[in-house]
Amino acid sequence: MQSGDPLPYTDARHQSAAQFLTEEAHLLDTSDFEGWLELMAPEIRYRMPVRVTAVKAADEAEVQTMHHFDEDWYSLQKRVQRFGTDYAWTEDPQSRIRHHVSNVRTFAGDGDELRVESAVLLYRSRGDRTAPSLLSAGRTDVLVPTTDGLRLRSRDIEIDESVLRTQNLAIFL
Amino acid sequence: MEIDEITTAVRQGLIPAYLYNDAEVHELERSRLFGRSWNFLAHESEIAEPNDYVVRNIGDDSFLVTRDSDGQVHVMFNMCVHRGMQVCRAERGSARTFRCPYHAWTYKNDGQLAGLPFHADAYGGDAGFIKEGQALLDAPSVAVRNGMIFASLDPDSPDFEYWLGDFAFYLDFYTGQSAAGMEFRGPQRWRVEANWKIGAENFMGDSYHTPHTHASVVDIELFGEPRPYKRKEGVLWHAGPGGGTTYKLPAGSEFRSGLAYVGYPDEMIDAMEAKLSPAQRALAAEPGFMPSASTLFPNLSFVHNWPQTDADGRITPFISVRLWQPVGPGETEVYSWFCVAADAPDDYKAASYKAYLMCFGSSGMFEQDDVENWVSITTMARGSMARNLLLNNRMGLTLDGDPIVDQFERFGGPGTAYQGFGEHNQRHWFSMWADFVSQPAPAHEPLAFGMGEQPE
Repeated sequence: MQSGDPLPYTDARHQSAAQFLTEEAHLLDTSDFEGWLELMAPEIRYRMPVRVTAVKAADEAEVQTMHHFDEDWYSLQKRVQRFGTDYAWTEDPQSRIRHHVSNVRTFAGDGDELRVESAVLLYRSRGDRTAPSLLSAGRTDVLVPTTDGLRLRSRDIEIDESVLRTQNLAIFL
Repeated sequence: MEIDEITTAVRQGLIPAYLYNDAEVHELERSRLFGRSWNFLAHESEIAEPNDYVVRNIGDDSFLVTRDSDGQVHVMFNMCVHRGMQVCRAERGSARTFRCPYHAWTYKNDGQLAGLPFHADAYGGDAGFIKEGQALLDAPSVAVRNGMIFASLDPDSPDFEYWLGDFAFYLDFYTGQSAAGMEFRGPQRWRVEANWKIGAENFMGDSYHTPHTHASVVDIELFGEPRPYKRKEGVLWHAGPGGGTTYKLPAGSEFRSGLAYVGYPDEMIDAMEAKLSPAQRALAAEPGFMPSASTLFPNLSFVHNWPQTDADGRITPFISVRLWQPVGPGETEVYSWFCVAADAPDDYKAASYKAYLMCFGSSGMFEQDDVENWVSITTMARGSMARNLLLNNRMGLTLDGDPIVDQFERFGGPGTAYQGFGEHNQRHWFSMWADFVSQPAPAHEPLAFGMGEQPE
């Protein structure tokens, strides 16, 4: 998937990628979805295929014909707009969420692209009667430098569950 | 409450609130309802090739749904008949045989026992265990309609087609769109802390929730139809063991213009025109209604909507099929498939898939708000106060029990139809629920495996 070894932690490109992910998580954790959308390149592809329980030999742990997310800029923008309405009941009252981002590995990609792998653990607590939920996932991102800083060109999310234990995906990973 | 009191209440349109989260009710549903009903398992397109399989549940029972090496479909209880291990622990794949991980009993994908280790040493050969003709247990009853595979745990279940009755007329709008058949993708699976009945009832007829619960998707101009005045013009129908909601098409609609209005391209309209009967096609002609959500009792729902799928204003319909699988009194596993005509143009399939993901399923913008409500109902139903409250499911009836409006006679489909808001369909659903839970579970003769009789 990646070419060559990961960039050393001391490499400025790795540092800028890691900071991008941290700042991105901050925007999501503070519900600044419009700010988050600004980090997306216009050609953004944001995907999370369904994972299944398959025998080891089958090598088909992901179903590429069905996703939890398969988004472009239009659909991400609609999701963000919806959170801004007065009627997005599922997030009013809001969930208490925290994106824990770790295991960041940065690779030099095509041209000036950076290919960045990371792990994310999303803690989500709703109301006061149901138990909090956790979503664990790996992510492979393509970041592209622009005059405004890095932008996300694609994100492929590998969710670590075949049956999600959270009531919906009114969140971003 | 005693079961007789419960069924009397729900037939009157009064729902004991605790039915949405109660262990005894759940147990009654497990044995009396799911022990006898016809349950959806999978679509043939999910096991398109010989040797393909999926594993699906009816309640707590795991079934292996296979296409054998000759192309024949089988539905088998996924329990090794030797010591009870789950034979296949993957949820999908391709296999000619299934080997039990415990003692290596091996079954062909038609269920026949192909081998067991040390047959001679351990059993004395056929003197102790007659290997020939032994097999995994078949599901007691199996039926296929529009490529959809159903099974019942009751060997004496009513004939599926007889049971389906006039619901078949409407089913074709969702899964009978083309002679080429349908393609089911997925499912997405997720668990919600909500009772399974709520989703089934909601899809069956709750047009009343749409304008408020789903106000956000209208606000962002994703889908215009849920506006209150639009929803109110729709007809609610119930026919056979199911019912659903519709949207009114523009005045003067014909079959073709009605389908074009919701975004179907010409080649798909051609396919539907060829596939559907004149009576089915008449549903979309003046006064003109387009099926939206529906439910086939007990827990299989369908949805057909037509949101805007790009910034240029393209309207694209999508179909989703979903199962509300009870996990416990207060927990449901949702299985949600995307469904499209197999011969639809590729660019339509892509846009329709996008429409589905934006609106329904685990991340869908409609579904997000629905589930929030259903979890809340289920949480509230757990307490003491809920045991003494009969919720009102009587919309569309006077206090004396008369309909507030006459049946809508100009509706083109079979069954009972009312225009406007009402809980007629939810009452119909609950009357079927009452029919099931008031009857004892079907009696089964215990089967002693391998004791000289062929398993039936």
